[in-house]
Amino acid sequence: MKVDRDALVATVSRMKSEGFDYLVKVTAVDYADHIDVLYILRNTDTSKDEILEVMLDPEDLRIHTIINIHKSADWYEREMSEMFGIGILGRNAPRLLLEKWDGVDPPLRKVFAWNAAYKTKEDK
Amino acid sequence: MPITRINVGPVHPSTHGVIRLVVDLDGDTIENVEPHVGFLHRGVEKLVETRMYMQSTPYMEKLDYVAPMSYNDAYVAAVEAAMGIPVKERAQYIRVILLELQRIASHLLSIGTLCNDIGQMFTAFMWSFKDRDIVLDLLQEATGSRMFYVNMRLGGLHSDLPPDFEEHALNTLDYLEKRVPQYEHYIERNPIFTERMKGIGVVSKELAKNIGITGPALRASGVNYDVRKNSPYYVYDKFHFNPQVLYDGDNFSRYKVKILEIKESIRIARAALKSLPEGDALGMPVKLRSPNPKNRISIVSRELPRGECLMYLVADPQRPYRLSIRSPCFINLAAISHIAKGERFADLFGILGSLDIIMGCIDR
Amino acid sequence: MNNIPLDNIAVNLEKNMINIPFWLHSASLLYNIIGIIIYVVIVSIIFSVFGYVVGWLERKLIARAQYRHGPTYVGMWGILQNMADLIKLLAKSDVVLDNADRFIFIISIPLILALSVFLVLLLPYSPVLQSTNLGFGLLMVFTVIAFFPILLFNAGFSSANKFANISAQRSVLILLGYEIPVLLVVASVALLANGYNLQNIIAMQSNSYFALLMPIGLFVFFVAMLAEFERPPFDLREADSELIAGWLTDISAPYYALALFIDYARMFLGSVLIAILFFGGWLGPPFLPPLAWLIAKAFIISIFVIMVRATTFRMRIDRVLRFGWWWLVPLSLINLIITYIIFVR
Repeated sequence: MKVDRDALVATVSRMKSEGFDYLVKVTAVDYADHIDVLYILRNTDTSKDEILEVMLDPEDLRIHTIINIHKSADWYEREMSEMFGIGILGRNAPRLLLEKWDGVDPPLRKVFAWNAAYKTKEDK
Repeated sequence: MPITRINVGPVHPSTHGVIRLVVDLDGDTIENVEPHVGFLHRGVEKLVETRMYMQSTPYMEKLDYVAPMSYNDAYVAAVEAAMGIPVKERAQYIRVILLELQRIASHLLSIGTLCNDIGQMFTAFMWSFKDRDIVLDLLQEATGSRMFYVNMRLGGLHSDLPPDFEEHALNTLDYLEKRVPQYEHYIERNPIFTERMKGIGVVSKELAKNIGITGPALRASGVNYDVRKNSPYYVYDKFHFNPQVLYDGDNFSRYKVKILEIKESIRIARAALKSLPEGDALGMPVKLRSPNPKNRISIVSRELPRGECLMYLVADPQRPYRLSIRSPCFINLAAISHIAKGERFADLFGILGSLDIIMGCIDR
Repeated sequence: MNNIPLDNIAVNLEKNMINIPFWLHSASLLYNIIGIIIYVVIVSIIFSVFGYVVGWLERKLIARAQYRHGPTYVGMWGILQNMADLIKLLAKSDVVLDNADRFIFIISIPLILALSVFLVLLLPYSPVLQSTNLGFGLLMVFTVIAFFPILLFNAGFSSANKFANISAQRSVLILLGYEIPVLLVVASVALLANGYNLQNIIAMQSNSYFALLMPIGLFVFFVAMLAEFERPPFDLREADSELIAGWLTDISAPYYALALFIDYARMFLGSVLIAILFFGGWLGPPFLPPLAWLIAKAFIISIFVIMVRATTFRMRIDRVLRFGWWWLVPLSLINLIITYIIFVR
C-alpha cells in the first residue's frame, strides 16, 4: 500500500486502531532514483500483514517518526537513519546504533562504494 | 538518592556476547537501561548484495550461531520464493525435522544460560549442554557438520538423511522426552528460582505488542502468534501442535514457554519422522545457471527459536539487490529498557537471560 | 568450675586459664615460645591440607554433579591442579589501579587472611592440640568473625570500582541480617553447656550431640554460616553473573590467590565450628584419635556445603535480608526459648 510521506503518521495510527497493532519491521530499499521506506504492520489476531510504502526523494530524505504509536519503531528508525542517511523528524536526535558510522555515504545506499578506501567526513 | 551510573560490559560474565549496557541505578532500582550494540556489526545486509545467491548462506548461518540452520532456512526460503522454485516434498519433511531439532538445541542452551545468569553454579548449564550435544550429534549425522551446517539448497537439501537416521532420531527424542521433566523438576522446584523469576520483568499483552517483542517472549505475554501456526510453511499444517501461550509475561513464563516448546518440538519432529515420505530430497547445486527471479520482491517469514525472522528480498538476476533481515534478538533487546525499568539491578541479568539474545543476530 | 556467669568473665580471666596443654604452660618463656611455634606449624599444616583437599574435592564433586570430570591431568585424579593454579596466580604481576586507595587496597586482603588464620589458631582441635582454654572462647571467636565484613567492606570500597562498592555494601547488609541469629544460637549452645568455654561445650556433648537436642538451632546456624562466609546461595558479595567478581573485581592475581585461600579457610572455620558446637567436636569411638574425629566431621560438613553450592541459585539481596529477619531470627529465638524451657529450667 503506497502512502504519502505526510500521511504516514495518520495512516499508521488509523491502522493501529483497526487492529494492525504489531510493527514487524521498518526498513528501506534504495532504488537509485527513489528510496522506499517500508513499514510492515501486522494484525496479530487475523495474522494479516500490511506493508506501507513511503517513497522518498533522494534529495529530501526526511520522514516523521512513528515512535509515539509503536515504541518498537525506535531502534528500527535509528538503524534506518544510520544505514540510509534518512533524517527522522519528531524525535530527539538519536545516537547512532550499529556502526557509529562516520563515513561519507550511508552504508546501505547504492552510492556507497563498498570496496573503496575508508574516508571520514573530515577527509572530504 | 543520587543516581549511580554503572557500565555493564562490553566484557562481562553474563552479557551473552559483546554488548554494553549503561545502567542508571537509584539505590538498587533500575532507572534506565541504555544498550549499546554494534560491536559485532559485519554488514551482512551489504555483503549479501555483493555475493551470488547461494554464496551468502554461510553468512546467514553466522548471524545466529546458536541456531544457524533456522537462519539458513529463512534465507534459502526467501531465495526460493524469489525464484519460484518449489521445495520437494521429502525435503520439506526433512527441513521440518531438522529445524525442530535445531529449536530444541537452541532452547536447551537458552535455559542453561538463563540458570547461569541468575546465579546457578553451571549445573543446569552443563546438563543442558550435555543434552544439546546429543541433538547436535544428530544434526551432524544428518548434515555432516556440527555447528554451521550450510545444508539447505534451493528446492531441497544438500544431502538426504543417512539410512539409520530415523531410528537414532527417534531414540534421541525418547531420551529428551524423559529429560525435560527432569529439568522442570530440578529447576522449577527450587524456591529461589521461582522467587527470582516470578513477577519479575512483567510485560503486559498491550506492552508486548507495542514494544514488538517476538517469539517465546511474545507468547509468554499472552499473544497467540506463532508463524508455524498462523501462516504455516512447509508441512507444519499437517501436524497437530499447539503454540504454547502463557499469560503472566514475567521471566518465569518466558522460561516456561521454552520448556513447553521443547516438548511440542519433540512431538512435531516425531510426527514428521513417522510420516516421512519416500522420494528425492536433493536440491539444486550451489552454482545456479543464469538465475532469473520470477518475483522482484519476496517476503518470507519464519519462526526461529528466538522469534520471528522476516526476510525482505529484492531480487536481481545473479545476486540480491537488497536483503533486509528482521532479526528477533534485535527487537527483543530494544525492549529491555522498557522491561527492566523499576526492577532490581540483580534482576537485569535474569531479564536479559530470559529474553535470550544472541549478539551476532542483533548486530548483523 | 565451668559454670561462669557472664559478668564475671573479666574478673575470672586469670582463674579461667585452665587446662592449657603443658607444653604451652611451661614456666620458661623459651619453652613457651617454642611450644607456640610448634602448635602454629601443626595447626597450619592441618588447616592447609584440609583447605587444599576440600578445594580439590569441590572441583571434583561439582564436576560430577555436572557430568564433567573436573581436573584430571595434573597429579593423580588432578589433585595437583589447584597447586598449579596457585603457582600460576602467584607468578603473575601485581597491579594496583591509580584510583584505588592504595594502602587499604593492599593491606585488606592479607589482613582478612591473617584474621581467618588467627581464628583457626583460636579453636581447639583435640584434648592436646589447643592453644587457649578461655571461659569466653566461643564469644571471642564470634567477636573476631564480626570483623570480617568490615575488612571485606574496606577491600571492596578501597578499589574505587562500582561493582566492588556494591559488593561492599552488600556485605554490610548481610552482616546486619545474619549476625543476630548466629549469636542467638550461640547463646542457646551456651545455655546447654553452662558457658562459653569451647572445651566444656565439647565435654557436655558426651551423652548426646547438641545437634539432636536442637535441630532448629543447627539449621539456623548452618544457613547463617553459609551467609557469613559467602557460600552459595548467599554469595552475593562476589556474584559473578551480576557483579563480575564483587569485591575481587579489580584485584590482581596474587591477591586473588589469597582470596581463594581465604574462601577455604573460612569454609574450614565454619565446618569446624559446626562440628564443635553441634557434633561433639573430637568425641567419638576410640578407634580413631580425637583429632581425626574432628577433621572427619568437619570434612563431611564441608561436603554438604559443596553440595549446596552445586544445586542452588543465588538469592537477591533484599530477599536474603527478608529471609534473615523473617525466618532465621524468629527460628533462633524459638530455638532459644525451647532450649531454655526443656533443658535448662
